[in-house]
Amino acid sequence: MTLQSDFLAAWRGVRDALAYPAWIVGFSLFGVGSLARDAGLPAGAAVLSTCLMWAAPAQVILFAGLLSGAALPALAVAICVSSLRFLPMTMSILPLVRRPGQRWPVQVAVAHFVAVTAWVEGMRRLPSLPVPERLPYFFGFASACMGVSAVLTLAGYQLVRVLPVALAAAMLMLTPLFFTIALMASARARQDWTAIGLGFALAPVATTFAGRDFDLLALGLVGGTMAYVVGRMGRRA
Amino acid sequence: MSAETALGPWWPYLVLILVGFLPNEIWRVLAVVLSSGLDENSEILTWVRAVATTLLAGVVAKLLLSPGGALAAVPFAGRLGSLAAGLAGFYAVRRSVIAGVLIGEAALVAIAWWARTGAP
Repeated sequence: MTLQSDFLAAWRGVRDALAYPAWIVGFSLFGVGSLARDAGLPAGAAVLSTCLMWAAPAQVILFAGLLSGAALPALAVAICVSSLRFLPMTMSILPLVRRPGQRWPVQVAVAHFVAVTAWVEGMRRLPSLPVPERLPYFFGFASACMGVSAVLTLAGYQLVRVLPVALAAAMLMLTPLFFTIALMASARARQDWTAIGLGFALAPVATTFAGRDFDLLALGLVGGTMAYVVGRMGRRA
Repeated sequence: MSAETALGPWWPYLVLILVGFLPNEIWRVLAVVLSSGLDENSEILTWVRAVATTLLAGVVAKLLLSPGGALAAVPFAGRLGSLAAGLAGFYAVRRSVIAGVLIGEAALVAIAWWARTGAP
């Protein structure tokens, strides 16, 4: 593997991201930018939140919380719980891009770029790539997504409140729409379909059984384990 | 003097790092520690993947059930209709993700506009 082949793989990642995924995550962060301005933060902090946190739901919790004057330690806990999904996501993507002798700073850098878009698209595209090309491809893909999102966060910050309501609603609909379709596009085995079905089916009741703070955690563990068992029975049959 | 006034213009950045960045990033770093030595085809990772997929589907369902901002102005049936249109578009147009997203978005804009201009 050479520097040149790494560069080519990274460039393919950039190109694939700019084809559409980067724009989808970017426009969903447009709304986050407007929220940061409402919360009275400087534009630099809005853009930096996209680059550092790289988690739209957590950014929404932070800015909406600051806006409502919530206590900072409570906000930190809420953000911590909401980002728990990154643990299983990062754990499942790291072995895909691992090269022999890879050092931990590289893995921390990969982990930092993991968010739903890079994860869903990575799980869909990476397995079909030759192992040596996966790491540069992932870096190219994810950094293009983050770059576009940083610019659109700034645009959202500057253009707040000039958007018609129907378009603002459409930008907020991007996340659930894209995530659902991408999940279905990447589902291969019975386990994936069961997991998607259970996630949707359990969401309305999870809050009742596990409370507001831990409902998603409980849903993931219970539903995920059930999906795993169903998938395993399928593989054995 | 409080920390807020002492730090002046740097206060928002300190909040961003301590309240936003660190509690969020801890899971990614923990994943690096926990995944060392795991094979991509191992049973434990297959289970981890199932948990991640279920979690994500749950997050999507919650976004549809109780959305924030302008999306809350669109009735639940409208949000569901937009998702159904998007999925139908995805399967109709040779399993194209972007076609599905665009068709679902078009449906949502139409529904939001129709809901606002006073349906019969």
